[in-house]
Amino acid sequence: MAENTNNNEYDVLVIGGGIAGEEAALNLANQNFKVILVEKDLSLGGKMIHLSKVFPTLDCAACITTPKVSETARHPNIHIFTYSEIENIEKKSEREFNATLIEKPTYVEDNCTGCQLCEEKCPVIVKDQYQWDLVGRKAIYIPFSIANPRIAAIDIDNCILCGACEKVCPADCIDFTQIEKKSQIKVKAVIIATGYNLFDAKIIKRYNVGTVKNVITSMQMERQLVPTRPFNNVLRPSDGKMPDNIAYVLCVGSRDETVGNPICSQVCCMYSTKQAQLIMGALPMADVTIYYINIRAFGKGFCEFYQQAKGMGVEFVKGKVARIEQGEDENVILRYEDIIKGTVQEAEHDLVVLSVGILPNTDYTGFFKNGGVEQDKFNYVKQTDELLSPALTSINGVFAAGTSTGPMDIPDTILSAGAASSETASYLRKAK
Amino acid sequence: MSKINPEFTNELKKFGAVNINACYNCGNCTAVCSLSTEDNSFPRMMLRASVLGLDTKIETSLDPWLCYYCGECSETCPREANPGELMMTLRRWLTAKYDWTGLSGLLYTSIPALIIGFILVAIAIIGVGYTMQFNVESIMEFGHDFEMFAIMGVFSLILVPNIIRMFWFTVLKEKIKVPLISYIKGVWDLILHMFTQKNALTCENNTFRWFEHFLIVIGYLLLLFTTVFLNWFETENTFVIWLGYIVGAIIFVFTFDFILSRIKKSKELSKFSHPSDWLFVIWLFLMGLSAFIVRIFIDTDLIDSNIWLYFVHLIILAQWALLIVPFGKWTHFLYRSFAMYFKKLEEDSK
Repeated sequence: MAENTNNNEYDVLVIGGGIAGEEAALNLANQNFKVILVEKDLSLGGKMIHLSKVFPTLDCAACITTPKVSETARHPNIHIFTYSEIENIEKKSEREFNATLIEKPTYVEDNCTGCQLCEEKCPVIVKDQYQWDLVGRKAIYIPFSIANPRIAAIDIDNCILCGACEKVCPADCIDFTQIEKKSQIKVKAVIIATGYNLFDAKIIKRYNVGTVKNVITSMQMERQLVPTRPFNNVLRPSDGKMPDNIAYVLCVGSRDETVGNPICSQVCCMYSTKQAQLIMGALPMADVTIYYINIRAFGKGFCEFYQQAKGMGVEFVKGKVARIEQGEDENVILRYEDIIKGTVQEAEHDLVVLSVGILPNTDYTGFFKNGGVEQDKFNYVKQTDELLSPALTSINGVFAAGTSTGPMDIPDTILSAGAASSETASYLRKAK
Repeated sequence: MSKINPEFTNELKKFGAVNINACYNCGNCTAVCSLSTEDNSFPRMMLRASVLGLDTKIETSLDPWLCYYCGECSETCPREANPGELMMTLRRWLTAKYDWTGLSGLLYTSIPALIIGFILVAIAIIGVGYTMQFNVESIMEFGHDFEMFAIMGVFSLILVPNIIRMFWFTVLKEKIKVPLISYIKGVWDLILHMFTQKNALTCENNTFRWFEHFLIVIGYLLLLFTTVFLNWFETENTFVIWLGYIVGAIIFVFTFDFILSRIKKSKELSKFSHPSDWLFVIWLFLMGLSAFIVRIFIDTDLIDSNIWLYFVHLIILAQWALLIVPFGKWTHFLYRSFAMYFKKLEEDSK
């Protein structure tokens, strides 16, 4: 990482270290702009680094994203702050922004070697948020195996302060005295790449999430299909049985006025189709059924991908699932109307996957001191010139990339980040 | 082959449909409905037929009467297309369809016609009073006779022909062959559904509403019985007097709660109120209340000096008996139970 010498001055502040933030930061850094990248999580990589394969090419997601993560982390023009947040940003004039940065304490110094001896010794086990609660982790932990930076952090809320990690650490890098650090930085432009949140299916009461066993989210299934998966197989949570009749429920939290998200999330149809194909590889004997309202296979090669899934034997049933209830043998009963037949049906499956939708991450609304970035009616960053300059926001000099502006897939996110970095570069060069 | 009526959705709007074109046919409403079964799946098909303008399909369908409007489909509709309110709308529309006089459709869709109708009935009653020189005895006697004739007249001239028309639309026209024995076997169900509305109990979290509704139906029928057959206003029998008081009170207390929930829009089913819904609950409330007060005035010997009070009651009663009962929401009571009966015939014929 480049040492910060110029009194905390940078050209561009990129907020968010997911695929959009990395792409935008790299594009600008390669043009010799000095970039500061702020990531609220412990590692770069955003959501994509946790995915199995990408659709419709079935390329390994981690294999695509980790080189980009490494390139970002090693770039001399990019200064990275992980586990840090923006407290506020104030626009002084054109190309003059003051920002306050908060570095949260991880209680582990940067010279951690990632040896994981502390993890072995730590007596506390809690749910692993990076495996979407499928398995446990320790209170001191390396976020995940391909994390960057791959150093440990202490989850102080769950730590019992026994000091076992401190004793065992060979690099002597554990420091319980760390405190939150605030610093002032000056930048000339800002890129918002704060990404999205996943819909919390507990909100839909009639799906009984949490009470009915063997209902998981698509992200939990995604984790069961990655090379670094927790069980090295696809298992259903209640009893560890290998499921042989799996259902996907589409549009959970998307296209639904009752949860306040009337728009299509754009990726669920295809990621569910992709997962169905991967399941057919992982569990060759399993039946997979996808319950949908409409299959939206609109991108390049998407329709062929959908047809391929059908050809592989994935069953597609038109009808929105209205109720999820517990059946016998810890199986799950779905109640839906088969739209083709026009009759109410009940179907039993031994594992149900909820294809949860994409919701806006509205963290960006709190960043700006006087007059925030405007939101569109779906609470994404408002694109003030959506058709001609999609990266522009309501503040001159603040640009938006990726899913901060709306739901989109990975290739579109890369394109959007490219647009945002180009707009930023031309904004900065106008001054020169 | 079906004929499409492109004006149908506009027509339904007048009967109270809200935002039905938003429907994207996901089937959530049908699957969430606890009354919907594999053999009788509704309401999505009705919504689809409405949006497409397939009015003949709806005319011959009994599905709208199978819905008791718990509101769960509307609450959970991802497009906020209000399928529950559409089913209510279709019941109004069907009521108008079954009615041979055509007055039902007019009163449902035109507020001026409704107001004129109510005023005409009031004038007629006042006119009758005028010819009797506002004599208490003779007016009360007239009132009692009127009740008898109104009930018989409305029944034989309007309701019975309309039910025959309903039978024609939904069974005969559909060429459903029903064995004769089914007609007899179904009668018990017909009576049971008519007086208990027991299917409404299948709706989720509906027990209290069903109970309120049940009490009102029983209360209303008892009030009818005590005033008409036991001649409540002129009786000396203490038991009959108290029975009348109790049923009168039941009616105005529970209808008051219904009115309140429509004002507060507290439940899904009370979110949208068509004029006919307001009229039904308000007139039922006024009828219970005015009957109650009239009897108090009789018992306290104040009625002779307050003949206007009996007049108010009589006007409300006449408007109820001549407009709301034959042409308004009251008919649900009959059509719904006959729909169950016809549905049973349909099932038996399979």
